[in-house]
Amino acid sequence: MLEIVSDKSWKLLETCPLKTEFDIVKARQIVRQFAKEAGMGIVDQTRITTAVSELFRNMYMYGGGGEVLVESGIIDENNALIITCIDKGPGIEDIDLAMTDGFSSGQGMGYGLPGAKRLVDRFEMTSEVNKGTTIRVMKWK
Amino acid sequence: MNYNEKKIPIIKIRDYLIVSIQVDMHDRLALQLQTQILDEIYRTGAKGVLIDISTLEMVDSFIGRVLSGMASKASIMDAAVVIVGMQPSVAITLVELGLEMPGVDTALNMELGMEMLEKRISKD
Amino acid sequence: MESNTTITNAKVRIDHIEDVLSSVAAGDLDLRIESEVEDDLTGVEQAINLLIDDLTHELKKSNQMKEEMQEKLLKIQDQQKMIFQQQEDLMELSSPVSKVWDNILILPVIGTLDSQRTQIMMENLLMKIVSTGCTTAILDITGVPTVDTQVANHLLKTVTAARLLGAECIVSGISPAIAQTIVHLGINLSNILTKATLQSAMIYAMKKNDQLVEGKIKIDMKELDDNQL
Repeated sequence: MLEIVSDKSWKLLETCPLKTEFDIVKARQIVRQFAKEAGMGIVDQTRITTAVSELFRNMYMYGGGGEVLVESGIIDENNALIITCIDKGPGIEDIDLAMTDGFSSGQGMGYGLPGAKRLVDRFEMTSEVNKGTTIRVMKWK
Repeated sequence: MNYNEKKIPIIKIRDYLIVSIQVDMHDRLALQLQTQILDEIYRTGAKGVLIDISTLEMVDSFIGRVLSGMASKASIMDAAVVIVGMQPSVAITLVELGLEMPGVDTALNMELGMEMLEKRISKD
Repeated sequence: MESNTTITNAKVRIDHIEDVLSSVAAGDLDLRIESEVEDDLTGVEQAINLLIDDLTHELKKSNQMKEEMQEKLLKIQDQQKMIFQQQEDLMELSSPVSKVWDNILILPVIGTLDSQRTQIMMENLLMKIVSTGCTTAILDITGVPTVDTQVANHLLKTVTAARLLGAECIVSGISPAIAQTIVHLGINLSNILTKATLQSAMIYAMKKNDQLVEGKIKIDMKELDDNQL
């Protein structure tokens, strides 16, 4: 599986374990707080918080829980907030299908991933069956 | 685990139920709320439900689906659901998420929401 | 018939001329040829001196111009900074949302729309809708000749978001070019109310609000406070 690694120049802001539903709410609030501190406007704060909420839910419901890393770093000369979700769950077999827009068409797998992708500035994902899934999103505007 | 740690209060005024969501809900709480509201509609025979989300800073796909689901289930029970006070950033994010919640009535504030319900009920 | 010329110390003087010319070529303009004798080579020597004088003069002028250009460049850079700042300020001010009638907001848009400006406009409009509680907003783009796909998407997003809030956003003044862009995007316009002119949009809005009945404008005098009259 392709590794998604953190750049050494990034600063680790917080590590959030994601084991219970309450962890989801807590991690969401942490992300919103960092987004606010990063100077993002209210709409962008809402965008990133909503995007990670989708990811956290997936981790909890399909990935068996996992860990969330919140980092900050410079991406393309921008001050970016970087959130990485790592689970060691069953993995996603068909990534293309998971990235199909499901809301309107009723297809897709309802993971909310394509929607989350639209809300962020960069979206990276790797997954391997029986090994787990890692999804990283970045936002800077 | 205590599933009922936080119960969101539901108030009845005339023929309507009024629910004000002020907490960041986890999924289970949202589903619990849906059940609560539908139970109350059944119990009181309310014709309308006003759900105030003016302090909700985020509505993601799950919460969005719960709200839509609530509206369609309530209409089967002959009650209308109006979502009131959505924040602009929430609206923008929902549109970008691709979740447009068709079939869900919305109003800018409580007053307009009640007018909407009144018009609908007086039509029956 | 050729006349013979006698040049005194020809070789020495020719070498000297070569030396001076080489120095000039290397950049040294301070040397001049000294003519001690008056003969046929003297004319050449003096012509070369004049040439070097001219060169010196031209170089001085050229350096002066360079300095002036530098100064101007710095001034222009400062002006650019100021323009950039003004542009940012303008973006904030350029699309004010006005409540033109009870329950009717108008956002008249003029000029070129870029993605950033459209986003700001969208947020302002939605916030104004919420703060005023107006259920009808008119987005008038009569003053906008064309839009690119990104901007068209933002405009449509605005209308959809307004609906989610509980308000209706009417788009008026769509030019044929913009209509084409929207059609090319494959966007379903059936959910969006569009009117050809701002006037027809206003009439629609007032009828919807029950403010225009049988062609007559209804004003509820009780709802106006003294400040408005």
